Amino acid sequence: MVALGLGAVAIAAEWVTGAASYAVGGVMFVVVVALIWTVIMGGPETRRALAPYGLLKPGVLWLCLFFLAPLWSMMVMSLSSKESRFDFFPSFTWEWSNYSTAFSEFGPQFARSFLYAGIATVLTIVIGFPLAYVIAFRGGKYRNLLLGLVVVPFFTSYLIRTLAWGNLLADEGPVIAVIDALRLEWFLESLQIMDNGKLLNTPAAVIGGLTYNFLPFMVLPIYVSLEKVDVGLVDAAMDLYSSASRAFRKIVVPLALPGVFAGSLLVFIPASGDFVNAQFLGNPNTTMIGNSIQDQFLRQLNYPVASAMSFVLMFIITIFVLLYTKFLGTEDLA
Amino acid sequence: MAGKLNRRDFLIRSGVVGVGALSLPALLAACGGDGSGGSSGGGTMFFDNWPEYMDTETVAAFTKDTGVAFKYGESFNDNNEYFAKIQPAMSKGDAIEADILAPTFWMAARFRQLDWIQKLPKDKIPNFANLRDDLKGQPWDKNDEYHLPYQTGIAGIAYNLEVTGRELKSTADLFDAAFKGKIGMLTEMRDTIGLIAMSQGLKLAEITTFDQAAAAFEQLEKAKNDGQIRAFTGNDYVDDLDAGNFAACVAWSGDVLQLSKDNPNIRFFIPEEGGTSWFDTMVWMKGSDKADAVAAWMNYIYDPVNAARITATVQYISPVKGVQDELSKMGGDAAALAEDPLLFPDAATLGNLQSWGALSEEEEAKFDEAFSAITGA
Repeated sequence: MVALGLGAVAIAAEWVTGAASYAVGGVMFVVVVALIWTVIMGGPETRRALAPYGLLKPGVLWLCLFFLAPLWSMMVMSLSSKESRFDFFPSFTWEWSNYSTAFSEFGPQFARSFLYAGIATVLTIVIGFPLAYVIAFRGGKYRNLLLGLVVVPFFTSYLIRTLAWGNLLADEGPVIAVIDALRLEWFLESLQIMDNGKLLNTPAAVIGGLTYNFLPFMVLPIYVSLEKVDVGLVDAAMDLYSSASRAFRKIVVPLALPGVFAGSLLVFIPASGDFVNAQFLGNPNTTMIGNSIQDQFLRQLNYPVASAMSFVLMFIITIFVLLYTKFLGTEDLA
Repeated sequence: MAGKLNRRDFLIRSGVVGVGALSLPALLAACGGDGSGGSSGGGTMFFDNWPEYMDTETVAAFTKDTGVAFKYGESFNDNNEYFAKIQPAMSKGDAIEADILAPTFWMAARFRQLDWIQKLPKDKIPNFANLRDDLKGQPWDKNDEYHLPYQTGIAGIAYNLEVTGRELKSTADLFDAAFKGKIGMLTEMRDTIGLIAMSQGLKLAEITTFDQAAAAFEQLEKAKNDGQIRAFTGNDYVDDLDAGNFAACVAWSGDVLQLSKDNPNIRFFIPEEGGTSWFDTMVWMKGSDKADAVAAWMNYIYDPVNAARITATVQYISPVKGVQDELSKMGGDAAALAEDPLLFPDAATLGNLQSWGALSEEEEAKFDEAFSAITGA
């Protein structure tokens, strides 16, 4: 088992190349054949003992090939340095300065990414919780239809939806026309949602885009949690002279928390690394870390720094998630 | 067409980055191996060009007239990205699938510096004589041995008259506080910085170090911090200009020529302080052994008749002498193009255009880094 995993990582991460990689592949093949052979030849007890390993095999191979190996080469790359700008094969030199560059030059982008993703997560909870609540408790026979409507936007490409937002928020677009007609501009300007008469290419547009695009990731887990809530519990609370709002606070919300927790992870993590919304709805002062990584990788051809930035991003998100888990708990994670 | 980025490209790009975010280095390593093959076998010559940069007839007509098996591609979307794409194979010395590519002049210079391109078989390209004289003797290819220009163009300023409410004529107008948050700039560093540097009185050809152009970067950065600049875009500035999101922006002549047909409020001008001129090249990649086919193709499109047909469609400035006469002969819309001052600039206009010289590897890196720090990416 371990041998298989190691073999897969070794080949994918190019620890071994050429003839040696064939040899490692051969060994892996022999291990698989041997395992199958033992299972066929052995009695029922051997079979029972080995079954878990057999079942784990595809998953382990998959993880090693497509997760551990890339992670390993990314780590190697993030500690490498280039001799010249167009040097395609950076050499491994324990170049820790890549990490300090990632921190010192892209601090604002990191901060902005987490700020925007955090606000978007809160907004998806604010919008998504009532929505999921209504669908779960008041949806009746339309439940599935309503849930379907939440997912319908997913039938269109992410990119198209974001570009459509661009058209809606444009200076001559419908949203601005409505705001003008209602004379709300001064109000939105004072909230700093609008900037100098425009909605598109503002931080608000980027956060709005993130919220919109990730909303279903929040609604669905909350819905799953709420759907399992036994309405009888609320009735019981009322029988015991609880007020409706107290029953909601003490029963429905705690039971829905696993959904909120799962939803926040599903929204926050991809939103922090998102670059599409900032690219199409933002301005040069709203770029997020995803845009910077893309730029370092594809335009500056600076693979080591881009890798280091990706690692820092992963690291910070991991810390956030760990803290979040510690304080909110995941034992009942749906 | 430098630095083109439209929606389709972005899809491709997001795909690349999406996958890349998790597995870049492994992916790169894996790609390294499969660059070989392609051009050595078979007899088909492959030209990978920019999108929508060719008319509909020429490709088929070329094969029919010359009998050369020819494949035409449109995946050269962005200089930097294409560079990143072929770098694994080229830096190992492997051949790539394409025989001819269409990098913009500064990228062609980089290809030359990295020794990725071959000397053209000029003895088999008699129509080489039709190359416009002003394009000869580039600093990175003094004897015109390694490239032929494909199309040339101008970067100037485009504006939407409905939004500006007045005519513009200078680069300084981009920094007019009345247009705060309504100005677009190109992600193509040489065009954006070029216009600003010229408005500060610099001669682009004389700029060899970053320090010389530092003031232009400062002016751009200040405008960005003040919220003057709405966005840095690739080719998609066309939509923003049309929709009125941009009052004015740095723009390429051919795009605006096509757009202004549908929207008469869109105007293009070369700023009085000067505009940049650029050209896309055709270069013969190392590892390709199809000298005859490459020569036949280059010779074919340097025939003024064929070149005029391309110009009538793409509406950029042809590097081939005699195109203007051929366009007049074609009659109709094409004949009208022959009179267009943006397609056939007069001496005064040409005198107002400048182009960048070659930057050393080190200095170019400084320019790119400073620029990307401003564009916020």
